[in-house]
Amino acid sequence: MKSFKLIFVCLLTLGIVFLASNSFARDTLVYGTTEKVTDMDPANAYDFHTWEIFYNIYRGLLGYPPGKTNLVPELAESYKVVDEGKGYVFKLKPGLKFSDGTSFDANAVKWSIDRVMRIKGDPSWLVTDFVERVEVLDKNQVKFVLKNPVAYFPALVATPPYYPVNPNVYPPDKIVQDPSALKGGKLVGLGPYRAAFFKRDQEVALELNPYYVGEKPKNDMVIIRYFADATTMRLALEKGELDFAFKSFNPSDISDLQKMSNIKTIKGQGPYIRYVCFQNNTEPFTNKIVRQGVAAAINRPDIIKKVFLGQNEPLYSMVPMGMWTHTDNFKEVFGDGNIEKSKELLAQAGFNETNKLKFDFWYTPSHYGDTEVDMAAVLKEQFEATGVMEVSVKSAEWATYKNNWKNQLMPVYLLGWYPDYIDPDNYTAAFAGTAGSRGNGIYFSDPTWDAMFVEEQKTPDESAREAIFKKIQQMWTDEVPTAPIFQGSLYLFAQKDIDGIMISPTLQFIYAPIEKMK
Amino acid sequence: MKYSPTEALARLIGRIARMGQKYGVEWWILVAGAVIILGVILMAVFAGAIAPYNPSDQNTGPQLAPPSADHLMGTDNLQRDVFSRIIFGARTILGVAILAAIISSITGITIGLISGYNGGAFDRLLSLIMDSVYSFPGLILAIAFAAMLEPGIISITFAVAVIYIPTYFRLVRGQTLTIKEELYVEAAKAIGAPGITILWKYIFPNVIATTAVVFTMNVGDAIMIEAALTYLGLGLPPSVIDWGMDLAMGKKFLPSGQWWLITFPGAMISLLAVGFTMLGEGLSEILNPRLLER
Amino acid sequence: MKNLLRYIIARTFLTIPMVFILLSIVFVVIRVMPGDPVSAMLGGHAPEKVIEQKKEELGLNKPLIVQYGSYLWQICRLDLGNSMIFKQRVIDTIGDKLPATIELTFFGMLITLLVGVPLGAYAADKRRSTQDYSIRLYGIVIYCIPVYWLGLMLQMIFGIWLDIFPIAGRTGARVFVAGFDKTGLYILDTILAGDFAALWDVLIHLVLPSVTLGLTLSGIFIRLTRANMLDVLKSDYILAAEARGIRHHRVVYKHAIMNAFVPILTMMGLQVALLMAGAVLTETTFSWPGMGRLLLERIYLRDYPTIQGVIVIFALIVAAVSLVVDIIYALVDPRVRY
Repeated sequence: MKSFKLIFVCLLTLGIVFLASNSFARDTLVYGTTEKVTDMDPANAYDFHTWEIFYNIYRGLLGYPPGKTNLVPELAESYKVVDEGKGYVFKLKPGLKFSDGTSFDANAVKWSIDRVMRIKGDPSWLVTDFVERVEVLDKNQVKFVLKNPVAYFPALVATPPYYPVNPNVYPPDKIVQDPSALKGGKLVGLGPYRAAFFKRDQEVALELNPYYVGEKPKNDMVIIRYFADATTMRLALEKGELDFAFKSFNPSDISDLQKMSNIKTIKGQGPYIRYVCFQNNTEPFTNKIVRQGVAAAINRPDIIKKVFLGQNEPLYSMVPMGMWTHTDNFKEVFGDGNIEKSKELLAQAGFNETNKLKFDFWYTPSHYGDTEVDMAAVLKEQFEATGVMEVSVKSAEWATYKNNWKNQLMPVYLLGWYPDYIDPDNYTAAFAGTAGSRGNGIYFSDPTWDAMFVEEQKTPDESAREAIFKKIQQMWTDEVPTAPIFQGSLYLFAQKDIDGIMISPTLQFIYAPIEKMK
Repeated sequence: MKYSPTEALARLIGRIARMGQKYGVEWWILVAGAVIILGVILMAVFAGAIAPYNPSDQNTGPQLAPPSADHLMGTDNLQRDVFSRIIFGARTILGVAILAAIISSITGITIGLISGYNGGAFDRLLSLIMDSVYSFPGLILAIAFAAMLEPGIISITFAVAVIYIPTYFRLVRGQTLTIKEELYVEAAKAIGAPGITILWKYIFPNVIATTAVVFTMNVGDAIMIEAALTYLGLGLPPSVIDWGMDLAMGKKFLPSGQWWLITFPGAMISLLAVGFTMLGEGLSEILNPRLLER
Repeated sequence: MKNLLRYIIARTFLTIPMVFILLSIVFVVIRVMPGDPVSAMLGGHAPEKVIEQKKEELGLNKPLIVQYGSYLWQICRLDLGNSMIFKQRVIDTIGDKLPATIELTFFGMLITLLVGVPLGAYAADKRRSTQDYSIRLYGIVIYCIPVYWLGLMLQMIFGIWLDIFPIAGRTGARVFVAGFDKTGLYILDTILAGDFAALWDVLIHLVLPSVTLGLTLSGIFIRLTRANMLDVLKSDYILAAEARGIRHHRVVYKHAIMNAFVPILTMMGLQVALLMAGAVLTETTFSWPGMGRLLLERIYLRDYPTIQGVIVIFALIVAAVSLVVDIIYALVDPRVRY
């Protein structure tokens, strides 16, 4: 027994002594998140967290400055539009090298795009839907030949599938899941960082890229720690174990963290929207009056208060706030929780207290966070408060959910959207254009709408596009293929001594300017 | 009516006290367990009358309010009354657990009797299968079943029932093997009694005592497994009111100090499980003839 | 000796059909249950061609018997296939997570023994006294408290209010795992790397999860130890020891426990199943990156190969432990022979 006590006391003292010493001498930032990394390959990753890592390891031909939404040249010095909008010629910055020393040139660009087209990963449509082929004009000039003129092509070029990767390191036909599978065992890109360590679901460490020619980052290393749930992450932040944390916090944690004096809150307008979808080709939702009636019952402030403790913003159009051309059409036409209007509209379609509108209302419990359960419960109450609807709530995990909308099993369901590229087209055509609508299970199709989408995609004339988008939003309140609910706000929390964090609706969170103040 | 209700109650309590003197502490453990269980069952049956609010009503009071006179167990973030949800939740958990135990016992006992009595290669194969399933962690198997099936009362009852069948099987088969060698069974066979009669009249009654104990333990375990499955989000859709699910939903509010959302569901699960376990412990000690030695 | 050897061989051979049955059950549950895994995974926009191609790739078009056969053959080669979602080999993923679960269950078992055995012995010693009944009551209650609830309570008290222990993960956010990670058993790794600050960190993170897991099972051990001790305490050699004047304390806690220990050891083997079940729930509560959490995460993602692989590994562990336990018991108790 005595020896036990002695050993214990020794260990205790040792522990306290060693606890004082720090593992890192350099300026390392620890970043917590509940997101998950998928594949470390721009040809297949299609989630925002992995893309965020790419924004810091790779570079695109064009990009966004930290915190801003305007496009600026990155790897390309400039570009010009030729062939009446069907061709884009990019002039690359000379003398750039990948982080293993290989030079970067037009061949690398072509090789990378061809690779994306060949592999046909999840995000490859961002390339294959628009790009016919890529031509190398000379060492520093590359031309993209498009299938059709696309007004927002520059916004597409700023997305990770277009990022050039090192032809010497990346396998031409296989998707890379983690860096240890690559030659040299490390990810090689043109950005300010490179991946030093990768352990899925635990941590990813980014160290400085010695070949980077731009401004040196204000920190030496960023370690991303993965958390299984938000509560743990919030507590780790509170205790000072993390320097900053982003995505996704529970609403109650956000409320608490905002009130803490030692934690800095950085709030940004998110580009992420949530909405109710109708299966427009299934009775009774083929009748737009029914869709209008259901949409009228939605009480957005009530949902935001109950489910999100007031932390998001009600949304009255599918085009989010802060984006060019947004107008609050749904507010003007329906308002919130408009029970009278809802009953009136549904009465026109023949539904009343004795003949209630019965439908299954679906949601997916974890893909959008676990607030979905509550949101579905609140919406059910709101629909049934009209007295003329009877709702049965159902759920399916994401994989089955996607399958369900393909098989037209869900007459009314909840969906969310993060933009692929920053343009109102991505928030409208994707749901109401015939092809996009079918792809998302909405099955709305109207030739007038399709013609308008084709028009705005082709023309580079900004005022013409603006007019089209405004009209579409207004038509949305008439046809109601979907009904918007709210727009998410982005919350990032950091220790008081962290500076330089800028988040923007582009979700391109750049680590380089972040520093720990002394 | 020979006695008035109060008189009948007094006589019942007197009876219970006398048995307590005869059997000692074990009896009181059994009684305590039975009282707890009875309490929860009554709560479940009379839920509509006892609950102050509709458990799905999203407008019963302020959001996330701590326990008070109006809301004995507080409210949750959808402004629902926790106390009412606890009361109605008893229905779900008791329903699933008892139903699963009934299915499990009927299946296990029947197969055990038949297999033990008939013997042969079929019996050996079945034993092997049952032994394998018995040794495997029940919860993990239940998770696998619950995950593969559509959430619903039937799925979760199935998942919970399946894992306990081997327990009944082993118990009943073992006893069947012993009993079938007894003289009176041989005699019955000699006069030509069909197998089923023998099973039903001779073997089954001998098996019932131990099976009853296992049944109570089974329900106790079923409660724990049902709560664990719903806590993990498997087995039941969120529209069903359930303690495990409320616990899972409430735990994200813990660091904000809203302790009542998880304390009460957790306490109720524990209490109910304790009730059945105490009933089982008490029953086994009393039915066990070795008791008198201690 | 020859008898013993025969027993060992016979028992080992018995394991094979048991494993085989468990593997078959897993196969049935995963493959035969309703739902088409491929369209569930690809869903949405996938054209028929892609779905068919994927099915070919995974061999889902072949008749069930053939699939069953290749499934068994794969397992013999320890090839558990590839994850549907992440294009990683299942065996690699499991290899990543298994050490975490091993560490957790090891320390959990340690706590169970440290709490359960002495309490059980004490209860047996003070039979039919208030202490006996209170210990037994504690045993029942602690077993009936859901593991995850106990975990939450401990997190709240020790992690949040008192702020003594961390409440999640295996290491603190500022400890650079890359620096020492070799086997995945962090206690071993940190010692090998000489990183004692990290060792301390790892140990501290183990406290709450193993205490949670350990306490829950201690109830069972209290009852088992008590029952075994009661039998042992009645035996003659104990009476003889007391007659010889050995202090009662030593008689109970040294001699009696040692003799009761072998049955306790075998019970440990049988409790592995409960340990693993408890580990699944403990891992979710403490964000522990082990097999249990892996199982649940992949269930949500409908990643069938990984789900299957994890359950297969669990089955193999159970079979292996039960085999070892039976052999140890045979080694020690000469009455046991096949």
